[in-house]
Amino acid sequence: MASAGSSGRSVTELAAQLYDACINKFPSDHLFYQQDLLGLDIVPKNELALLLQCTQSLVDQKLFRLLQGKNDRLAWKIISREDAEKLQNLSPDESLVYNVIHSTGRSGIWVRAIGNRTNLHKSILDRCLKSLEGKNYIKSVHNVKFPSRKMYMLAGLAPSEDVTGGAWFTDGVLDENFINSVAGFIEYTVSRKSWYEVPVSDGHRNKRMKTADGGLAVKQEGAQREYLPFPAGYQGYPTVPMLTGAVNESGITPVRLGEESITQLLEMLCYDNKLVALNNGEVYKSVKNPEQVKSQQARKPRSDDAGIDDRLVRNGMTEAPCGHCPVFKLCAPGGAVSPESCEYFDPWLEKALGF
Amino acid sequence: MISQYAAELCALLVEDNFGELFARIFSTLQRYDRLSFPRLKFYSRLSDRQLRHGLAAMIQHHLVYHYTSLDDGATYYEPNLQAAYYLVRSGKILELIQDRLGKYAATLMSTIMFLGHAQVSYLETLPELQPEFPKANGVKGESETGESEDQANGHGDDGHTFEQPALLHPTLKALASHGYLIRVRDAQFQSYADNALDAERALKSRPDVKQLKGKKLDETVLDGTLALLKEKLDGDLTRGLMFNGLPRGAKRRHANGSADAPNKKARVDYDDDEDEDEDEDEWSDDDMGGDTSPMESGLVVRVNYEKLDVALRNRRFLDLAELNSSPATAQVYDCLLRRIEYQTKQCRDSAEIPREGEEGEQYSAAIALSAVTDEVDPLLDLAGSIGPMEVSQPVNRRGKRPLEDGVNGTDHEASEKPSRIYEVDQHLSLLSQPPYNLTSKRMLSGLITWTVEFRHLARKLRHLELERVIEARYGDVALRVIRVLHAKGKLDEKRLQEISLLPFKDLRQVLASMQAGGFVDLQEVPRDAQRQPSRTIYLWFYDPDRIRSSMLEDTYKAMSRCLQRQRFERNRLKEFLEKTERSDVKGNEERYLSQAELTLLEQWKAKEALLLGEVARLDDMVAVMRDY
Repeated sequence: MASAGSSGRSVTELAAQLYDACINKFPSDHLFYQQDLLGLDIVPKNELALLLQCTQSLVDQKLFRLLQGKNDRLAWKIISREDAEKLQNLSPDESLVYNVIHSTGRSGIWVRAIGNRTNLHKSILDRCLKSLEGKNYIKSVHNVKFPSRKMYMLAGLAPSEDVTGGAWFTDGVLDENFINSVAGFIEYTVSRKSWYEVPVSDGHRNKRMKTADGGLAVKQEGAQREYLPFPAGYQGYPTVPMLTGAVNESGITPVRLGEESITQLLEMLCYDNKLVALNNGEVYKSVKNPEQVKSQQARKPRSDDAGIDDRLVRNGMTEAPCGHCPVFKLCAPGGAVSPESCEYFDPWLEKALGF
Repeated sequence: MISQYAAELCALLVEDNFGELFARIFSTLQRYDRLSFPRLKFYSRLSDRQLRHGLAAMIQHHLVYHYTSLDDGATYYEPNLQAAYYLVRSGKILELIQDRLGKYAATLMSTIMFLGHAQVSYLETLPELQPEFPKANGVKGESETGESEDQANGHGDDGHTFEQPALLHPTLKALASHGYLIRVRDAQFQSYADNALDAERALKSRPDVKQLKGKKLDETVLDGTLALLKEKLDGDLTRGLMFNGLPRGAKRRHANGSADAPNKKARVDYDDDEDEDEDEDEWSDDDMGGDTSPMESGLVVRVNYEKLDVALRNRRFLDLAELNSSPATAQVYDCLLRRIEYQTKQCRDSAEIPREGEEGEQYSAAIALSAVTDEVDPLLDLAGSIGPMEVSQPVNRRGKRPLEDGVNGTDHEASEKPSRIYEVDQHLSLLSQPPYNLTSKRMLSGLITWTVEFRHLARKLRHLELERVIEARYGDVALRVIRVLHAKGKLDEKRLQEISLLPFKDLRQVLASMQAGGFVDLQEVPRDAQRQPSRTIYLWFYDPDRIRSSMLEDTYKAMSRCLQRQRFERNRLKEFLEKTERSDVKGNEERYLSQAELTLLEQWKAKEALLLGEVARLDDMVAVMRDY
């Protein structure tokens, strides 16, 4: 029928017009409601049935994606023409799967969840996923939280922090060396900014400091530099943005690290008692001065006993043989394990006294 | 305190210090707790005579509480574990006294400790408290004047002979005004529970209380009991002896300067004073110096361990400060703590250490900034150990550190040399910084004062001790995990990993080994009723209270092991040691012993010192976990 034909043609034309208008006038991720589309003044007389036909045809052409907006209202989003072309080549099943994966965005979706949502048989689903992956539309990602789950997301997206675990994970595994090198760098950087370095040229100083020898913060030996703590309320301690900038400029990271990642690392350093957060984590101050940090880091790779003075000061329990005794719980006078028959005391006494 | 290992330790201490009779009585009482005389006799299998002698002596040493019941007229005996435990701390206390008040005070203190409690008039008669008394082991009695001390030592005969009585009484007064000595009260011979019951009974029989009922009655009785107990037990001697908030003989920090060194002479071994009971009245007390009013001669004094704990605790705080700050800062802190000590009676109000997170804040007495400044050695270089406020500043024209850009940077010229008070304030502010927050500032009616938050710091000390043990056993990775768990509460493995940034493998290993050691625990939270492992959340947590108490037990145990080992080592060398202790050999070792024997003796002494030193170190931990 002519009228039907003309209306059919006019629907496609209208739809094309509508699509162009949408693309031109709105950002690509705008959520269109009915009013938005009517407001474009493309559908004559704001005829709702006609609008519905147009949008339906656009949806069929994969140029529009049908969504459910607020209050269960219908809403649409536009799809770029290239993407639409991709989608048009997909089989219905594939397209279904693609949409599900698309809907989860950067967080990715577990294969079993796709199965649940699409109600596809597992073999069909596998086939779809395989073909989609083959066409390079989707990719499989590794989720740190669920390392055993197979997850997919669109190929063009970068996985979110939740999935990768943040900057500190490489392929879902914590990158220890990377963390240690950045942590070392940060500690040193913070340390340089949280101690006042006494100018070496100032000869007068050394004489004055003689009264205060043996101090932790004050090094007396000739070549070594002297560091003094800043007074309370000092404003020059490094902040998170400063440190982030410093790390990114230093060239020790292949990727740019965000402030969140740096904050995470800073907190870890606080738990290591290397840094101290001031003003609710706004600024950080180091516990050791730069010299100490340096010597400590230089020592790290060597054997363990070199690092002993690096530890907290020891106490009675860690010194006494009982503190390390594996059978301490069984020890009783007159028992199989007893203070009289103890085999740890003699070596301990010998070691401590040197005979 | 009443645990297997604590009991074991206390029995060992009593035996080491007082011998077998005391030990037999003490351990019998420990096993059966409260016993009447016939029962005690039955269980301990001692003769009447032995038992009576022993009990009387033990009561004098406060090792045994006794209580005569009004109902049946029988007297019950109970062990005083606390007093027995404090035997181990005596060395530390004497060292502290010697450091604070000089050698003579320490000798006096050790005498009082050795006697349990003593009457002033009796102390006057004791030969070893007379400055001129030549010691049996050849060491000349130290003569120092209580106030201006530390210079003279080792010369017994330099004219102090005429000031003899002036030495004992001022020292006694100094000790009393510091609160290190207290008056002995009758109630102190009864256990706290008996005293409380007595007080309650006395209160309830009062006619005005009898008329009360219900809740009101309970409240009145409770408050009244506490007040009555306080009144009965109170042996405070500091009243009237302090002036300007300072105890007598409190030496200024700057007075002793570097004079500590000549004071190093070995403390007289007070064990050889055993026979002093016999030679009473050998030295009649002569005329008192006219200027110093003596202590009441009828006064009976004993050592106040509670106050000494406060002093020892402050010393630990000072150590903490020294760890992270310059010596000048630590000295300023020392002055503040000293001032606070004078006003602190005990480490805490409650008998038990409150549970983690439930303890409130307990601030010390606030000390005015000016008072602290007075205390600080005027020669101490305060400016040289704090950096400037601004780094960019052109530094140091004449080696003077530009501090005037600080808070009061209004007048550059005037504050070229910042005031002493301001500098002290700066040091105290430095201490108030995280991580330890050793001080805190208070404004009291416009006056700057400084205080110390005791509970917070005591907690810090406790955590530090636990962390040391954890680090020594499980490494620094474990330490990080523990700190995360402590800060964040209960965490599942994934979250824990994200915060601690540790690889799963390491994390699991360290968690598993710590769980085996009892340092962390796992809580299971099932998501459904079936409690399937796969549908269960596992949360790791760290309970410092529980760890503390188990560590405390371990420490007691380690202490008794060290003592037992020492005894064992002694038995190994028994015959040789008996030879060295013979009266003709003792003191003349060089003459009677061969070279090999001399080395052996040296080795034994070193061994014994090491073991006892270890016990003292362990006691430091006990103090942190139980007393502070």
